[in-house]
Order: sequence, then structure tokens, then C-alpha cells
Amino acid sequence: MNNENRVVRSCLQLAEKAGADAAEAYFLHQDNLTIEVRNNKLETLERSKDRGVGIRVFKSGSFGYTFTSDLGSTALKEAVELALKGAIYSNLDVDARLPEQQPFDLSLAQFDCDIENTTLEEKQALALTIEKAALDTDSRVSMTERAVYEENSNTVLLANSCGLQLNYRTNFCGGYIWVVAEDNGDVQTGAGVAYRPQLSQFDPVAIGEEAALKAVQLLGADSIATQRLALVLPSKVATQFLGILAAMLSAEAAQKERSLFADRLGQQVASKAVTIIDDGSLKGEINTAPADGEGTSSQRTIVMEQGMLCSFLHNSHTAAKEGTVSTGNGVRGSFKTPPEVGPTNMFFAPGVSTENDLIQSVDKGLYVFNLMGVHTANPISGDFSLGVTGLLIEKGRLTRPVRQVMLAGNILDFLNQIQAVASDLRFYLGFGSPALLVGALTISGD
Amino acid sequence: MLLGTKNELEQVLAQALASGGDFAEVFLERRWSSSVGLEDERVERVHSGLDQGAGIRLLAGEGSIYVYTNDISASGLLRAATDAATALEHRFLEPKKLTLSVKNRKKNDARLNDFGVDLAVELVQAANKGARLASDKVRQVMVRYRSLDQKIQIANSLGNLVSDYHSRNTLIVHVVAADGGTVQTGYESLGSYNDYSMFTKDKAVEMATVSARRALILLEARPAPAGRMPVVLAGEAGGTMIHEACGHGLEADIVGKGMSVYAGKLGKQVASKLVTVVDDPTLSGKYGSYTYDDEGTPAQKTVLIRNGILENYLYDLNWARRHGVKPTGNGRRQSFQFRPIPRMSNTYLAAGTTPPGDIIMATENGLLVKRMGGGQVNPATGDFVFEVAEGYVIKDGRVAYPVRGATLTGNGSKVLLAVDLVGTDLGFAIGTCGKDGQGVPVSDAQPTIRIPDLVVGGVL
Repeated sequence: MNNENRVVRSCLQLAEKAGADAAEAYFLHQDNLTIEVRNNKLETLERSKDRGVGIRVFKSGSFGYTFTSDLGSTALKEAVELALKGAIYSNLDVDARLPEQQPFDLSLAQFDCDIENTTLEEKQALALTIEKAALDTDSRVSMTERAVYEENSNTVLLANSCGLQLNYRTNFCGGYIWVVAEDNGDVQTGAGVAYRPQLSQFDPVAIGEEAALKAVQLLGADSIATQRLALVLPSKVATQFLGILAAMLSAEAAQKERSLFADRLGQQVASKAVTIIDDGSLKGEINTAPADGEGTSSQRTIVMEQGMLCSFLHNSHTAAKEGTVSTGNGVRGSFKTPPEVGPTNMFFAPGVSTENDLIQSVDKGLYVFNLMGVHTANPISGDFSLGVTGLLIEKGRLTRPVRQVMLAGNILDFLNQIQAVASDLRFYLGFGSPALLVGALTISGD
Repeated sequence: MLLGTKNELEQVLAQALASGGDFAEVFLERRWSSSVGLEDERVERVHSGLDQGAGIRLLAGEGSIYVYTNDISASGLLRAATDAATALEHRFLEPKKLTLSVKNRKKNDARLNDFGVDLAVELVQAANKGARLASDKVRQVMVRYRSLDQKIQIANSLGNLVSDYHSRNTLIVHVVAADGGTVQTGYESLGSYNDYSMFTKDKAVEMATVSARRALILLEARPAPAGRMPVVLAGEAGGTMIHEACGHGLEADIVGKGMSVYAGKLGKQVASKLVTVVDDPTLSGKYGSYTYDDEGTPAQKTVLIRNGILENYLYDLNWARRHGVKPTGNGRRQSFQFRPIPRMSNTYLAAGTTPPGDIIMATENGLLVKRMGGGQVNPATGDFVFEVAEGYVIKDGRVAYPVRGATLTGNGSKVLLAVDLVGTDLGFAIGTCGKDGQGVPVSDAQPTIRIPDLVVGGVL
């Protein structure tokens, strides 16, 4: 920690000497481990240590940003000068600022010593267990593309010229598998995935079984005629829509009129079944931390309540523009980016029914296994058009497998069509959802 | 030498192989990035950065170990090499001597990309102005200029030592237009390799105009039809379809794991006779170009499919070794943080003999795709999707009206067999291709082609 402290202090001193009005240094040390197995053998083991510092320098009403993983004194000096130059080239923005000082709840720094102390052999065994569970589930599972155990640990040091000093460690572990099932010349794939902040909560068998069941149930899948169908989205699939929504719920997007939700605070924008919450202080989730990437303490923000838009996500910059306070959403993926507005742990609040209740309530619909092309959804217009695989629902029962059909629509229609929300809230990295029932949407096929 | 000396690297490789293994490699990198953004009429997000590090890879049988570190001092590299060797065998022996021969060496020592911040600022401002002038329906303009310079050095236990540099620039213009409650966007991008002469203010204005026009057309567009129909992909549409529908399935790791529909099909007909597919990183100045791949193998042109017959796959060193064939120079990685895997570079479907206008005239009813967006494929089944960024309905052999919200889905191997007309034009588009969590710069291209029957995802 001494060396890291020295780097952070040195950046702030250099910035002051160079004539900055204010400055911030964010040091991140990331350790990653990935163990990939296939055919009951080690395929790849990856170990990495990535560390560096990101420097924000404020000058005359704007700021510049630079990062460096060369921590030598020459490199740090050059980095501070480049950041200052960035501030000078940027147009004036009186709202650019550092957050106010505030207390932190350091118990939100989740660090599991089991993850750190478990041997490589035991971790490799976890990856092998994922694969074995998949192969044991059904004899038609013919191949594993890969089965993976991985873990990540972060050491954060954040300091600024207003006196902020914060340091903490977090870690988490997880795994995934991708398998192929074959029967009568037909080939289908299935995936399973889970990430947890504690090794004791990590269930490798469940990951393998999930992938196997998905692949096997899709065998014999075919396209169906173009029609309007109700959709049941299991938790993992539903979280992918939050990925599209998160960008639209950023205050920056709203302020710059590139969000469909701009000027709609206090209005009904979704069905009454929809409540969306962002919570960086939610214990036991992956993105939980004492503070966001610029030192605003983590908090719970109700973004939508029973379909009404209650709040956008703010960092201190967007908050200043509206004379409000940051919601603790100045997030950073690494030391290479400044704190941009983004979600922490964002989720659809759970309801009371079960996923099975949702399926049984559908006369004609589709239970969705997998979406393709989610990254092509347009976060500004809200239009999406996705490839879908799943199982047809007829009279409340799952009947035959479906592939090569498309789901097209707009995220606003999607939100308004959510009819019911189940109780099985589950998180996949930063996004969580229970199963959702979404009222008839167009499925394009033959 | 910039990063590590020959002697140091020889020691590092020997250290990595100390507990066994068939192959060791060290990849050293220093990369400078800078970017200038503009949004809401303001220059903002003027960012820069320096990232450095080394990745050490060890291959043993079918297994591999990859360790990376930001510490590129001689002692840091040795420590990482020891970590790799220990991860392999959990024991450590005395290193054996190893000698490297220098294959290529760039003398260039200064920062390579001298396209300064002031020029970048002029460029983004010109684009903003161009887009705002296009129409008063333009609500927001986002422009981003990025440059990336990489100095790399690759040494491996085959005795090769390669030094190289890459310099890539991109300009992206995003326009948001609105009319009543409808919001649509238009997008245009330009990318180059070791050449930034095309990044002029005139070009920035032209890109802004094109991307504003796309957004405005979409405001007028009707919802896309849904269902199965003939689809004409224009040459200017870019090669996303080829990239997704066929390219990924020809990457040797996917083939080697038996996860590709093209596994075991060498020498067999996998596409219509009109179809020839090529991957070529040696094309000058294209976004996916390079001189050496990220394992130090010289770049080469690879014919993948010739007149419908499958001829080759895309290989890195690891999979070439496992299959006993020559590497094709397609071992690429995003940075020292990643191990190299087989990747595409500039991939295209070669031009044919039919004039593009005739292809539309020959199509009674269908969809014309003038610009493709992103896409995705499941290589095991060959099922793909890709979005249509600019599309038109074809009626009676003529372009009738624009549509929005269309996405195409199909099966790669079936689509390639079905292609029944191939045009004389060839248009490139750039992109960042994602695989195994790594993004690498690519370009892809195709002439105007017709697929007699594809599922179009629209709204009923």
C-alpha cells in the first residue's frame, strides 16, 4: 500500500505544482485469475496483475483526464501535464467539480478471504465440476466449448485535493460454461453462468446443469410463423433489457436530450408492475462498494416506482447541472476512464408470483432462453431487434423448441407491456431481475 | 531497443520454460491513446493515457498458461516468467540457454502519431457544424476522434524476435434527429491503419452529412416488414454478414473445438459457386491491417472459400501447432492483457460479375440493405443476426421507401449456399470485433449480393 499511496500523493502534488485548480487521483490494482478447462483437462490458466493511476485535473472551469500504468516519476509528471492540457482544450463547463466530502460505510467493501486462500488446484477442480455436471445431466450433451472458473480482486485508492482519502479492497468469483448438445444430426448450444462475492455461495453444479438443460431442450428447434406472442423472460434474459435501459437512465443522456426519458420525470413511463432500483450499498452483490469512482458514498436510488420515473442516475457533474446531489453513480470500469454516469447494482424489484405461475397464465407465448444481438440495441431511440431461441408456451405449458425468430420493438413499449413480475430476483454481475411476463410482442419468423 | 534487450528476453524465455513446456513467448507493449469528444456543441472528454505491460505465455501439450504484468523491468519480466513456470508444474528447475534472432526492427523511437490535439479539435468541430447544418431536426451531435499507438515486441522460443508498431485512428459521428415524439439516430465511422491522411475537415463534414441524412431518412421511414423475403445487401452496406455468417466459423480455435459448422469440411462445397471469401491483413491502410500478427507471424492473404469450396481456416500458432499446419498470421490480441487467439483482419466476399443495379431490378419484392449495423453469431449452429442501419423496401424491382427497425436472421452456411447474384462493387466498413472478451480492429466488405430468402425481423 505504501507505494500506491506515494503514487497518489505524488500525482496530487504534481497537479498543484503545475497550476491545477483541483485534482483527483484514482489508483486501482486488479488481480485476475481465469482457469479454463475442456474435456476434463486444463486448457488455459491466466493470471494477471494490472495496476495504474487515473488523474483528473481541473483548470479554469473544465477538466482533463489521463491514465498511466508506467508509475515512474517521469511518466507521472507527463501524465499530469497531459491532463492539464486536456482541461485547456475542453470548453468551459462550470458544473465540472469534485464531490463534497462525506462519510463512508467501509463494511460495504466486501472481501472474501476464502477466495484468496483457496489453492489453484481446488479452483481448477471447481471448473472441472462445472463441466462434469453438464456432461452428467444428459447424455446428449456432446461437447464443452469451455468451462471456466474466474475471480477478480480490486484494491482502490482514491484521493483528491479537497482532502478525500479512501482505500478499500473487494473481490468476487464466478464461472461459466458453454456446451453443445447433439441428437439426430441437430446441434444446439446452452450456457450457464454465475458470479458471487463469496466462494461459499458459488455453486458449480448449478452452472453446468443450467447449460446442459438449455442445450438439450432446444434440440429439434425450428422457426415458427410470424405472430404476436406473450413472452416469459427468465431472470437472466430479463437483466439484458436492463443493460439497454441503464444508458437511457443516465442524467447525462437526459440532459443532452439523447434519452427517451428526457423531460419525463414524474411521469408514468412503464406499466405499474415495473419498479427499478439502483443500489450500490446492497450487501452481497458484485458492484457493492463504500463509494462510487469519485468518492460519493454508495446509496439506494429508486429509479422507477410502479412505472413512474422517479430519478435519473447522477454523478457529481450531472448533479451540479441540475442543482441536485449525486446518486453515487459516478462509476469507473478501470483506472483508464474518469467517473462516468452508470449503474451499480440495478434491478427490477421482485413481485410475489413464481416463474411457473407466469408460464401457466399464458395461453400462447414464448419462454425465452437466449437473446442474440443485444449489443446492437439503440440506446437513444430505444429500438431493438433481437434473435431469439426458446420454448413455445401453449395453454400454460412449455411445448416445442423455437429458433431463428426475431423480436423487434421499442424499449418504451416493452416497459409498458410488462404484465407481471415474479419473486425470483437473481443478479448477473451488476444487473438483477426476477422472471418477467411481457404482453404480446411481434415475433418474426416464417 | 525500446522495451527489452535481446539478452533480457532470452533469459525471460528460458526462465518461463524452466519447468517444461513446448513453447514460450513474451509480448511487450507500450500503448499511447488519446481522444477528443464533442457533444452538445462543446469540446469535452479530452483524454489520454499510457498503458504498458508484458504477457508471458507458455504452451504445454494442449494446455496453456498466460501471465501478465505492468512491470516491464528485467526483474519484473523474470518474476512473471517464474509465475508462469510455477503455474505449469508447481516446481521449478534451472533454466536452459536459448538464443533469439532479430527478425524485424523498427527504429522509430518517437511517438508515432503526431496528429495533434488541436487538429483533432478542428475535426470534431467541423463534423458538428456539418451535421447541424443538415437540418433543424438534428437535436444532438456526438463526435469522437481517437488515436492509438502501440509499440510491441514479441520474442518466442522458436527463436524469433519481432519489433513492430501500430498506429490506428478513428472518427465516429453520431447524429440524433427528432420529429414530434420520434427519435432516430444516424452513425458513420472512419478508421485507418498507419495512415491518417484521410482525416481532413472536408471528410469530417462529409461523414456528418451522411450520418445526419441517415437519421433523417429513418424519421420518415415506415416500420420494417416482418417475415421471410429476398434480401439484397448493397456493396456499400459493409461486410457484417460475411464476418458473422461465415468468418467466425472459420477461426481455427472454434473449428478445433468442434464448435463450428465448417469443421471437417475442407475441400467441400460450403457456399454457392459465386462465393469467394478472403481474409487479407496486407491490404494497405485498412483498419484491420498489420505487418506482423500479435505472435510475430508475418501477415498474409488467406483464401478461405474459393468458388464455393472451403480451402482454409484462420490459424494462430497454438492451433496451427495442434493441427500440424502452418499459421496463417491471424494470431491477434487486444493488448498485453490478453493471450492471442485466431481472429479475422480485413475479411471480404470477392466481387462478382453482375452490375449492382441489375440485382435490384431482378428482385420483384424484398428488402434492400444499404448499411448494416452490428451483429452476432452462434458458430456451433451457424445462426446469426445483424441489424439494418439503413434499409428500403424493394417493390417491382425498384427501391420503394425506407424502413426502420429491421434485423435479419438466418443460418450462415445456408445463406452462403443460397447467394444467387454477386455484384461488381466492393465496399468496406470498419468495426471492433469482440470475441472471448477481447476487441480487435477489423474491417469487412462485400459486393452487392442477393440472398433469395431471409427472415426479416420487423413489427406486425
